[in-house]
Amino acid sequence: MIYTIASTKLGIIGDPYVPADGINVAALLSGGFIVEQSTPKPKKPAKTSTEPNEEI
Amino acid sequence: MATSTYLSNPVVTVNAVDLSDQCSAANLTRVIEALESTSFGKTARVYVGGLENSTLTLTMYNSFAATETYATLAALVGTSTTVTIKPTSAATSATNPISSLVGCYLETLPIVNAALGALDTIDIVLTGGVYSVATS
Repeated sequence: MIYTIASTKLGIIGDPYVPADGINVAALLSGGFIVEQSTPKPKKPAKTSTEPNEEI
Repeated sequence: MATSTYLSNPVVTVNAVDLSDQCSAANLTRVIEALESTSFGKTARVYVGGLENSTLTLTMYNSFAATETYATLAALVGTSTTVTIKPTSAATSATNPISSLVGCYLETLPIVNAALGALDTIDIVLTGGVYSVATS
């Protein structure tokens, strides 16, 4: 999971946040100090306009 | 004569959140429990070291504003976290060491300590965890 800093109390807003050992990430999330960054989904392959049996 | 004077810039973090601007007192005490090992033939009690059980007591101004005291502590009650404290905001060094308790436990959180005409202040106690000090 990737987190982004959302409060200056934790660091620079917008920077990625990597929790150190012993940090309660759930508490940071519920307090609004960090936000989860959704991982980008892989792009779908482009649709082909030709039929499977069609000769090009 | 060596003294340590804490003026305006000690740094306190709770769960990585910098709460220095809400904290007015901090008391970190390293405790290693004493286990009595006195046996027959001894004329005085003797002890050996047991488990470490250090504590950090913080006096804080209670603030319900976003990302302040309450927002930091509310979800930590009954859980373990990490706290750090160092004498000044300058870079960590041998003369400005940073002390940490990793895995300390927050048992209680006063929600309101209201008195007419006075700021709402709370004392929290974080117990246990592994103590360490770093100078760089």
